[in-house]
Amino acid sequence: MTPILDGAAPARPVSRRSFLAGSGGVLAAAALAACSPGAGSAGTTYDLLLPGDVPAQWDRVRGLVNAKLKADLGFEFSPEFINWTNYSSQALLKFTAGEDFQTALSARWLNIAQLIESQALEPLDDALASGDYPHLVASVNQDAFDANRWPDGAIYGIPAVNSAARIHHHIARGDLVDKYAGGSIENFDQLEKFWYDVVQKEGIPGYINRNSPFDVLGAPTGALYAQGWETPDLLPLYFSSDSLMFVPAQDAATTGSTNAVPFWEHAPYRESLHRVRKYYQDGIINADRLNADPATLKSQFDGGGAATTWGITDGLDTAGHLDQLEKAVPGATLMTLLPFRDGQSTRPHQTFQADNLVVVNAAGADTAAALQLLDWVSIQENHDLLQYGEEGTDWEPVGDDAYEPIGDYANFPGFALSWRIPLERKYSRMSESESSWFEWSKDYNNFTLDPFASFIPDLTEIETEHAQITAAVAEFGNPLFAGAVEVDKGLDKLKKAVDQAGLAKVQDELNRQADAHLAGS
Amino acid sequence: MSTSVEPPREVAATAAASRATQRGARGSRASNRSSIRGRDYGLVILAAPAVILLAVFAYGPMAGLVVAFQDFNVADGVFGSPWTGLDNFEFFFTSGNAGRIMWNTLFLNILFLGATLGSGVLLALMLNEIRGRVTKRLFQSVIFIPYFVSPIVVSIFLQAFLAGPGGRGGLVNDFFAVFSLPEVSWYTQPGPWPWILTFVKVWQLGGYMSVIFLAAITAIPEEVYEAGVIDGASRAQMALRITTPLLKPTAAILLVLGVGRIFYGDIGTIYAIVGDNGTLFETTDVIDTYVFRALRTYGDFGTTAAIGLFQSIVGFVLVVIATLVQRRYARETAIL
Repeated sequence: MTPILDGAAPARPVSRRSFLAGSGGVLAAAALAACSPGAGSAGTTYDLLLPGDVPAQWDRVRGLVNAKLKADLGFEFSPEFINWTNYSSQALLKFTAGEDFQTALSARWLNIAQLIESQALEPLDDALASGDYPHLVASVNQDAFDANRWPDGAIYGIPAVNSAARIHHHIARGDLVDKYAGGSIENFDQLEKFWYDVVQKEGIPGYINRNSPFDVLGAPTGALYAQGWETPDLLPLYFSSDSLMFVPAQDAATTGSTNAVPFWEHAPYRESLHRVRKYYQDGIINADRLNADPATLKSQFDGGGAATTWGITDGLDTAGHLDQLEKAVPGATLMTLLPFRDGQSTRPHQTFQADNLVVVNAAGADTAAALQLLDWVSIQENHDLLQYGEEGTDWEPVGDDAYEPIGDYANFPGFALSWRIPLERKYSRMSESESSWFEWSKDYNNFTLDPFASFIPDLTEIETEHAQITAAVAEFGNPLFAGAVEVDKGLDKLKKAVDQAGLAKVQDELNRQADAHLAGS
Repeated sequence: MSTSVEPPREVAATAAASRATQRGARGSRASNRSSIRGRDYGLVILAAPAVILLAVFAYGPMAGLVVAFQDFNVADGVFGSPWTGLDNFEFFFTSGNAGRIMWNTLFLNILFLGATLGSGVLLALMLNEIRGRVTKRLFQSVIFIPYFVSPIVVSIFLQAFLAGPGGRGGLVNDFFAVFSLPEVSWYTQPGPWPWILTFVKVWQLGGYMSVIFLAAITAIPEEVYEAGVIDGASRAQMALRITTPLLKPTAAILLVLGVGRIFYGDIGTIYAIVGDNGTLFETTDVIDTYVFRALRTYGDFGTTAAIGLFQSIVGFVLVVIATLVQRRYARETAIL
């Protein structure tokens, strides 16, 4: 046989059999090595899901947090950051696939109903009552827990909020408001005029955001929903927020009859659709609402490329944008706009359900450890380290309740893990208008309890119809909310699609459950 | 010169001898099929990792198809979730979208397959005519590079070309403006998207396909071209009447492989570019994007597994039909 190796003096011939056996053995060993568990580091590390981008300096701060976590609790954590665009779907998929992680952000506007239905979440009542997590229980008001009980009476998530109610509104360029609106905007008409002036004279959009039905239909306010700033008393009903919105009868609470109808039968909503379509055509809103990435839109606003963007009363309007905006547009300022007709004497309807719930994965490796972590971040020192970074390097305290960032570490999504009302510090450069509205949003007395506050419909009976209606809304509803299609034609297509998908059955089921809720409350 | 190409006698004889040898080899192997002889153990070990990999990652997961007939939830698992018969198939077939989505899948894949194969052959013929070695390699590399570009990057390119910042303008519309043509809102007009996606596929895969065809061209015996020169054929005639017909076997294999996946949408490209933009679903929503959207929106494994199973069965049937048709009409190039 011809030797495979030749030329080298001491080379011994390698037989075909030896070559094949050797190569096969190496490949088999490599395959087995690839399949075997990695060496891994010593100690336990728990994964968890967080929405958004990885904060700057995250590795350093995570190292500090893990060192303290290890010393205090004996384990470390390793959050996975998921872009907002994909967060809802990826988190749902990870839960329903039984992936091994500890906690995640969820809520009704995300997909908590589906997660509870598929038994993917751990009920937390027993654990919270056990006395093992005193810091957590002490830092979250019992009322907040009670407002977020599921119809089965269980608590499935820790409310991570820093105000009584989160109101959708506008974050505006204060310098442009000074220039085109005389320094203040008191109602929606003035806001609309401001947008048109900015588009005409500055050549930038008046308002940018990614597509959202809440922008157009409000809950009860929406950035583009004019009626919501006049009478913020309507909260639409829905099985899931990405599906069809229904409007209950105005007198449902007194008559006991919900009589909910699809959103297009409510005149102010139809008017809002036409208004958004006009804004789209006139260049008031961005035309890429259907496919724009949130990070791209944020960069656009922070770079001075729009007059207003979306905000919510969580105290992050200024902190989230001002530094970048000032770098791009010297002299620019920020302003928080809630153009209520009645100003701060308005009493918007609210359910007080938390927009952010930290839920524990039932398939997670260690539920007790998950709650230990939530308890650990409920201690001021740990909370500050995680949320603001290292004191003296990343931030410095200002007074008793504020902080000033001095490093690059910023934007940790505490709303998905560590937000606790008594522990939160305000951004030291928070604008006057944001400070005023943020304080207003913390007071429960500034809101009206909605008759459907604790109503959470169960979709078990209409799963298939609901899924098909959701698909129809994705195809025909979202373009309407983006203003991308002619309203009447778009509505015709949507109505036809949802009728075929089983609208009548879903509507009947919603009304049946809502009537039962009203009868029981 | 003759209009039809007959392989030279030498080539035909070599091919016949080769087939006879293969037949002999098959016959010999069949007689020894009953046992693995000592010298074959090396081959078995060599093949083992690939077989194990295939078993674990291709055949093993097929057991999960039972989920298509269950109301699956994580808590009960595959073995505990209740059986629902064919209920999961109802979601797709009663949605009113099934016909349109299947049509989109077939239409887009036929466009992709035809356009990429055609552009691959064309580019290979053009590259083959370049005489300068360095120039040829340079062009080859340049047209191959798009194959490595991520669909996400492609989607960003497209946005810059078609939409611009804030969804208005874009390079194409700027170009239109030069000729006083009206601006087109590309991301709200479903009509042009099959062609836009096909253009993207050709840009991505044209170079890749051309390399495969170039390899096939280099295997064509020089004597065939010499015969063409003697007959007075020009370069263009030789490319059209000699090279192109002799690329048929390669094209046939690529075609069958493509047909096997014709019921699979190119989710990487389509989803990265179209995303959840409902206005474009009319012409771009394919089975894969529909399944993916359904799964990530509803988290319902049963429904999505049912659609996936349907897709696999139709794909399998199409492969069998394509192979049978090929055996019937072009036996010499058939893969089975």
